Amino acid sequence: MRKLTSNSQQASMKRGLIPAFLAAVIISVTGLLAPINAAQAKNTFVFANASPYDTMDPQVVFDVGRVAYRLNLYDGLLRWLDNPPKLNPWLAESYDISSDGKQYTFTLRANAKFHDGSPVEAKDVAYSIDRILALKKGASSLFVKVIKPGSTKAIDNRTVQFNLNKSSAIFLATVPEIHVMNSDLMKKHEKDGDWASAWVSKNDAGSGSFKLKRYDPAKGFLAERFVDHFLGWGDKYLDAIEFRTVKEINSRVLGLMKGDFHGADGYMPQDQIKRLMKTDEVNVFEEESMRIFYFIIHNGRSPMNDINFRKALSYSFDYTGFIKDILSDSVARNPVPLPNNIWGAPQGVKGYTYDLDKAREHLAKVKEPLREITIGALAGYGQTEQAAVLLQSALSKIGVKSKILSETWPVASGKMRNEQQMYDLLPLWKSTYYADPNNWVGEMYYGPNIGSRNNSWYQNDQVDQWITEAIGSTDQAVRAANYAKASTKVMEDAGGIFVYNTKWFGPYNKNVKGVRFCPIGNAQEMRWVYFE
Amino acid sequence: MRLLVLIINRFLWFFPTILGLMVITFTISHVIPADPVAFVAGDNATNEQIEALRAQLGLDQPMHIQLFHYIINLARGDFGVSLYTLRPISEDLASRLPATMELTIVSVLVSTLIGVPLGVISAIRRNSFLDHVVRIFTVSGLAIASFWFAILLQLFFAMELDWTPLQGRTSGWGPEHVTGFFLVDSLLSWDLSELRAATLHLILPVTTLAFPAMATIVRFTRAGVLNAMNSNYVLYEEAMGFPKRVIIWKYILRNALIGTITQIGLIFGILIAGAVVVEAVFDWPGLGYYAVQSIIQSDYNAIMGFTFVTGVLFIIVNLLVDIAQVFIDPRET
Repeated sequence: MRKLTSNSQQASMKRGLIPAFLAAVIISVTGLLAPINAAQAKNTFVFANASPYDTMDPQVVFDVGRVAYRLNLYDGLLRWLDNPPKLNPWLAESYDISSDGKQYTFTLRANAKFHDGSPVEAKDVAYSIDRILALKKGASSLFVKVIKPGSTKAIDNRTVQFNLNKSSAIFLATVPEIHVMNSDLMKKHEKDGDWASAWVSKNDAGSGSFKLKRYDPAKGFLAERFVDHFLGWGDKYLDAIEFRTVKEINSRVLGLMKGDFHGADGYMPQDQIKRLMKTDEVNVFEEESMRIFYFIIHNGRSPMNDINFRKALSYSFDYTGFIKDILSDSVARNPVPLPNNIWGAPQGVKGYTYDLDKAREHLAKVKEPLREITIGALAGYGQTEQAAVLLQSALSKIGVKSKILSETWPVASGKMRNEQQMYDLLPLWKSTYYADPNNWVGEMYYGPNIGSRNNSWYQNDQVDQWITEAIGSTDQAVRAANYAKASTKVMEDAGGIFVYNTKWFGPYNKNVKGVRFCPIGNAQEMRWVYFE
Repeated sequence: MRLLVLIINRFLWFFPTILGLMVITFTISHVIPADPVAFVAGDNATNEQIEALRAQLGLDQPMHIQLFHYIINLARGDFGVSLYTLRPISEDLASRLPATMELTIVSVLVSTLIGVPLGVISAIRRNSFLDHVVRIFTVSGLAIASFWFAILLQLFFAMELDWTPLQGRTSGWGPEHVTGFFLVDSLLSWDLSELRAATLHLILPVTTLAFPAMATIVRFTRAGVLNAMNSNYVLYEEAMGFPKRVIIWKYILRNALIGTITQIGLIFGILIAGAVVVEAVFDWPGLGYYAVQSIIQSDYNAIMGFTFVTGVLFIIVNLLVDIAQVFIDPRET
C-alpha cells in the first residue's frame, strides 16, 4: 500500500513537472518580446551573398563571389578603386620600376599593422607571394610565369623587391591580388609544411580594415572594425560587417525587403531587381561593370575553322532580342572581346548584327561539309541556356543543325582545356580578374595561351604580335593601341560571338550610404560604407 | 536474447553495407567527366599548374588506388580534406550535422505527435466530415511541392504577418556550442532569448518538412487502426466491457503502429534528403546544401563524407525502428 502511494505520488509529481516544464518553455519562447531581426546589432552591416564562404584563406580562391573577406580582412600593396578602376597605393606608399621592367621595388607605409598589432613588413610580402606560388591556387596563375619562388627579397623592413623573370606590363595590375599575410603568425600555425592552410582557412592573418570575429563555413563571417588600420577612420563608419551565405535569390530579396539584410549581390535577375526597385526600403545602384558575355567558338575544329562559318554564326545571334526582350535592357551591347569601359577598347566598332540573309551568304561560302554542332551551356546559369536556345533557333532557320548540352561548371571547365572534348560553342562570362585589357583579349585570344586561357583555339600571328608587344611595353598609349587592334581583329575574324557587357545593380537598404563600386570587388569593400 | 541477436546481426551487416555504399559512391563521383582540379586551380591556371596540383592532391593515380587509400584512411577515421578549402571534411561535417539533425528530429517529432492522433481520430470517425477533411489535408501534404510551400510560408508568416523569422537558424550566431543543437545548447546555458530565437526559426522549416511526413503518418496510422478495429480481439474486449478509450489507445494503437513505425524510420531518411530543398530556401546551415555544393563542385572527399554520415545515420535509425518493433510486437524477430 505504501509502495502504491509512493508510486502515485511520484506519478503525480511527474504529471506536475511536465506541464511546469512546458509552461516554462512556452513562456520563455513567447514571453520575451524583443523583436527578432537578423540585423540586430546597431551599426552592423549584414550582406546576403550567393556564394558560400567555405574558406577564409585569401590565397586559395580568386573569384568575385567570395571577394568580401579578401578585401575587408586583408590588404595588398596596391588596390583597385572606383569605376573605371584606378590603381591606388595601399600598403605601399610608393613604388619604383627598373628600366628593364623586371624589378619592382615597393616602399611600405610605416604605420601599417596586422590585426595582432605587429607591423606589416617586407618579409610578410615576400612570404605571401611565395605562399601563393607554393599553393598553386587562386591567383597563382597570374604570377607563376613571371616570379620564381624565393626571388622576392625583403631589402629592409619597409622595402620589398620583386625580381621578375621577364618584363611584364601587367604585373602592376595583378599586385593587388597579393594579399599580405602575417608571416610570423602563419609560421606559428604551420603543420606538415601546409603553409598554415588548415589554420588560416578559418582564421585571420591580415591587416585589413576589419578583423575576423566569428566564422562558420555554413553561415558566413562576422568582422569588427580594425581601429588601428593604417588609413584611419573618419567620423562615419561601420562597427562591424557580417557576410552571410544566402543561396536562394528569393530569400535574399525578401530579406532585403524585410530589413534583415542591408545589401546583396548586384547580379540578380532583372525581375528581382525590378521587384526591389518598387519597394521603399531598398535603393538599387546601377553601374556598368567589366564582365563580358560571349560565346567561345572552337576555332580549331571544322567547320568553325572556316571564317565564313564563324561569320554565319555571328550573324545568327539575335543580339537585340536577347538584350532588350530577354534581359530587359539591363546590359550594354559589347561587340568586341574587351569591355566598352576599359582603356584600350576600340571606339566606334559596330560589330555584328542579327542578319540571317548575311548569315546565309557566308554559309554558302563554307567549303567543308556542315555537321550538327554542339552548343554547350552551364547548368544552373539560366542565361547561358537562354542564349544557347536563341542561337539554336536562328541556326535552324539557316539550315545548321545543332544540339544543346547543358553541364555543370566543373564539367565544362574541364572540357574547355581539352581540344577534343571542348564544345563547338559555349556561352559564358569573362569577369575582371585584373583591370587591364590583357585580362580579356590578351588571355582569351593569345596563341601561347591555347588550351588553357585561350579556349577558342584561336591563333592569329598578327594578334599574337600585338599582344606580345603590349605585354612587354610600359607605354600605356602603345598598349592601348595594340589591344584595340587585337580586339578589332578578333571581332572581324569572328573568333567568338561577343554579346554584352554586364551592368551591376547593387541593392542596398535606403539607410546605407558610401557604397563605392569597383568592378574588382563589386562594391564589397566596406570601409567606406556607413548608415545614415 | 532475441533482441541481442538482432543487434549483432545488424552490426555484422553494417560493414559490408557501408563498404558497398562507399565503393558505389566513389565510382560514380569519379566517373562523372568533371575536372575539379581545373576548377580549383581557377580560370587563369595553366595546364602545367593544373597537372602539378592534380599530382599534389593524389588525383593523378588510378581510380582503384585512390579508392584503396580512401578506404584505409576512412578505417582510421580520416575523411580527408576538401579539395577547395583544404580543411578536414570531419570538421565540416561536424559543424553542419547538428543543424540538419535538429531540423530532422524536430520535424519527425512534430509529424508523429500530430500525425498519429490525427490518424486514429480519422479512423474511428471513418467517413465523417472530419475524416474527409483529414484525408484532403493528407493528400495535399503528399502532393505539395516543398519548395513552393516553403516560399508561401515565408511570404505569409514572415513577410505579411511578421510572426516568424524569414530564414536562418537563429538571429545571431547561436548559443555557446556544446552539442550543436541550438534548442539543447540554449537550455544548457539557460539562454532563453536564444531558445526563443532558435524555436521561432524552426517553425517554418519544420512546418515545410513535417507537413508531407505527417500526411504519410496519418494515412498509415488510419489504415492500421481500421485494420485492427476489425480484429476479433477488439470484439472480445468490447464484449468484456473495456472502456472504448482503453481499447483504442492501448490495444488497437499498439497493433496499428507497427506499420507506422516502419514508415517513421523511412521518413527520417526521406527528411534528411528533403532537407536539401528546405535548407536552401531557409538558409539552414546544414548538410543538405553542403552536399549539393560538393556534388556540383565534384569535391570527392566531401561527397564521400556526406554519404558515409547519412548512410550510417540511416542504418542506425533503421536499427532503432527494428528494436522498437520488437518492443511493440514481440512476434517480430
